[in-house]
Amino acid sequence: MRAALALLLLLPALAFGRPATAVRATEIRSAPNFDSAALARLAEGQRLEALERDRGWTRVRDERGNEGWVRMFLLRYADEGTAQPGDSGIMAALNAARTGSSGRQVTTGVRGLDAQQLTSAKPNPAELKKMQGYGASADAAAKFAAQGPLTAQKVAYPKEGG
Amino acid sequence: MSRLPGMLLAAALLAAAAPAAAQFNLNKLLDAAKNVSKATTEIGEPEEIAIGGDLSARLLGAAPLVPNDDLQRYVNRVGRWLASQTERPNLPWAFGVLDAPEVNAFAAPGGYVFVTRGLVARMRSESELAGVLSHEIVHVLKKHHLHAIQKSAQMELANTAISTFSRQDQNTPLREKLLSAGSEVFARGLDKSDELEADRLGVVIAARGGYDAYGLPAVLQTLQAMNPADSSLALMFKTHPAPAERLDALEKMQSLLDAYAAQPQLAARFAAAGR
Repeated sequence: MRAALALLLLLPALAFGRPATAVRATEIRSAPNFDSAALARLAEGQRLEALERDRGWTRVRDERGNEGWVRMFLLRYADEGTAQPGDSGIMAALNAARTGSSGRQVTTGVRGLDAQQLTSAKPNPAELKKMQGYGASADAAAKFAAQGPLTAQKVAYPKEGG
Repeated sequence: MSRLPGMLLAAALLAAAAPAAAQFNLNKLLDAAKNVSKATTEIGEPEEIAIGGDLSARLLGAAPLVPNDDLQRYVNRVGRWLASQTERPNLPWAFGVLDAPEVNAFAAPGGYVFVTRGLVARMRSESELAGVLSHEIVHVLKKHHLHAIQKSAQMELANTAISTFSRQDQNTPLREKLLSAGSEVFARGLDKSDELEADRLGVVIAARGGYDAYGLPAVLQTLQAMNPADSSLALMFKTHPAPAERLDALEKMQSLLDAYAAQPQLAARFAAAGR
């Protein structure tokens, strides 16, 4: 299991190096901030390749080879139509281990967490106890956060609609 | 917690030990009484936690925990730290990674939060994990599931069950009824407005915890990039608004997100967890 999870984490980052389109007209910038120079105009619906994310920005390359940064919210990813995780490779192997078949059932209730299993599974109180045993105290969690290092901030909840 | 009339409480106690015929009479009695007493009962915290425990035990019956102590402890530290930044820091918060290839996350009343191995495998940093856990924490804070369960389990009957909850044995029909209503909510999903609220408040909780606030949007973009026909996404897509719609809603919070975007993502600590 541990080895399988480790392998999964080595799969290429899914959202990057992938075809994407701009949902609105915008500009490719030289750096991930609004103060940087605009390198090229992007039309709505223009195809791009998305390379990496930094905060609220994604580095992209357009069809003419311009490379730079656009706001992450302006990108939508196209379905490549190629093999997808969950239906191929390691994920399929894990699915097959669980179901004893191809792991390709879409609607039937053999796999662990579909609607049917959720409503018909037998309770596992021993596993619940185990989960509660993993619980962290507030102090332990605070210590772990400080090692991050993470610093707590005061941030108010937004009103509806942000 | 407001109280139902004593007569109903007594009837419920009687029914807890009574056969099906008496149960039927209790339902009729409650139907008649609800017009008179209109109890608008808020379920108490101990009962909320008990309902969440029942639901979580069933969820764990569908998929057990990933057998990795270090990974489970890691997720609990991250989750507990986030919960400490909220208005309900003292619930018995418990977090777990389910051993399932599906891409999903769940919350149950009282502080139980689950994320699947399939979803964790698609995350790239602790800030992304924090974004997802924070979304689920909001469901607990706002009692989204609890309210949905109350609604679908026939308010009055459920309330009566809850008044006598601790005195009933584990397998009374009433407790079963709440459990099955809860499982239905997992299978059917919450209202769309609850999900969008969990996104909106979730990014705030992650920012309060000191994380890059873009963790949740990044996960949503990963989901948006996946093939929607992928069977591992079926339940999550059925029970949540489309990732693109959720991203559109979060885009309205860009100025808040940007104010906390320079906080750590902790990709290295995430990659090392559980290995």
